[in-house]
Amino acid sequence: MTITVSREAKDFRRKVMETPGAEKLMRCYQCGTCTADCPIAKRVPEFRPRQIARLVMYGQKERLMEGDLLYLCAGCYTCYEHCPQEVHVSEVVSALRKISLDEGHLLPGFKALMEGVAEMGYIYEIDEFENEMREDDGLPPAPTPDTDGIEAVMRATGFLGKVEASKR
Amino acid sequence: MKYAFFVGCTTLSRLPGYEKSARKVAENLGIELLDMPGSGCCGTTYLETLDHRTGLAVAARNIAIAEEMGLDIVTICNGCTEVLTKANRELKENQKLRAEVNEVLAEAGKEFKGTVEVKHYVRVLKEDVGLDVIREKIPKSLTGLRVASHYGCHMLKPREILMSDDPENPTVLDDLVATTGAEPIDYPNKLECCAGPVMGVRENVTWSIGLDKVETVKLYGDALVTACPFCYLTYERCQLMQEENPELPVLHIPQLLGLAMGLDEDELGIGHNKVSSTCVLERLEG
Repeated sequence: MTITVSREAKDFRRKVMETPGAEKLMRCYQCGTCTADCPIAKRVPEFRPRQIARLVMYGQKERLMEGDLLYLCAGCYTCYEHCPQEVHVSEVVSALRKISLDEGHLLPGFKALMEGVAEMGYIYEIDEFENEMREDDGLPPAPTPDTDGIEAVMRATGFLGKVEASKR
Repeated sequence: MKYAFFVGCTTLSRLPGYEKSARKVAENLGIELLDMPGSGCCGTTYLETLDHRTGLAVAARNIAIAEEMGLDIVTICNGCTEVLTKANRELKENQKLRAEVNEVLAEAGKEFKGTVEVKHYVRVLKEDVGLDVIREKIPKSLTGLRVASHYGCHMLKPREILMSDDPENPTVLDDLVATTGAEPIDYPNKLECCAGPVMGVRENVTWSIGLDKVETVKLYGDALVTACPFCYLTYERCQLMQEENPELPVLHIPQLLGLAMGLDEDELGIGHNKVSSTCVLERLEG
């Protein structure tokens, strides 16, 4: 049987490999060190870093973008450090997250988190109540983030607009 | 010795024990930690995976504040450490990227100049203060206490960016533990990630990974120390959520140091730790 990789699949693979950090994907010889050492793969059967690399090589976009697969990576860099071919599957996953967001998709929790940073300047609300608690502990008030500046920066790159328009 | 102190969202709002002890121990060692006016979230390790340039810009805005203060940054969160170190390195080395990011940063009235360094608190203690100086400040002893260090990932990796300790055989936390008279121990899954970053995606995975470490450490040691708010929360919460009698005390590294320094328990925020640290306190001699 001959496996044919379609033009569309190759374009997808090229797009992944254009992302900084993910350039060396085609060096992967499927040794499986990444999956063997991945803390998530030990507990989550569907999260297989080796398979992720293989699926990108064959341009299997739909399978990669399914469910919460891309968000199961903890970003621990174990695969990054241990890969004998410097494939950096963690960076391949980052590239896939970027492509997914460019196409309008983001997990709701991540959307809320990013909008929160733009709105509050922190990932949690740190306001009067929190500062009163801090005072009780003898701690100084938390720095007041320049939220206008942070939002402006996140909007200027086009990122915040993409986040706001994204759906699961 | 003076630094710009980047506390980070999670410690600022959830872990007063970590912040109090970090400030108190620094003060005791003659380190001045100055707050960074206008600083906010580092950007999170998630943002850099979603949009590289935005991640750099949000991080660089904070770095620019330290540059205005003319001080190197000290961090106490592994996530902030990785995000700020990576941005600092990339923007110092890549002029084209720096120009692009500075164009965006102008929106916030900031400019990245590349004049400061970023260092995790534990590295400042070991490299800038020195273990000998720390030992001189320790009148008490935790002799007989077996302490497991959990380093966490982003203090060490990627190695080529963090350039701190060997990610396969890190020593900085164990060295600090040893200054207290406690015994730093090795254990099988010492280098495993806490899985805190997937807590919001699949909580049960994080609890399972957390408990694996907790159960292993219990076989070899008496307490676990961390140097990151996310790792700390994972090992504390997995016990509170999944175990009837949480038994393994989890301490922030400056808390352990502070106790051996003879600092007050309240000033170290020990009371904020939700798993009882009695077995640690009982060991304190001198």
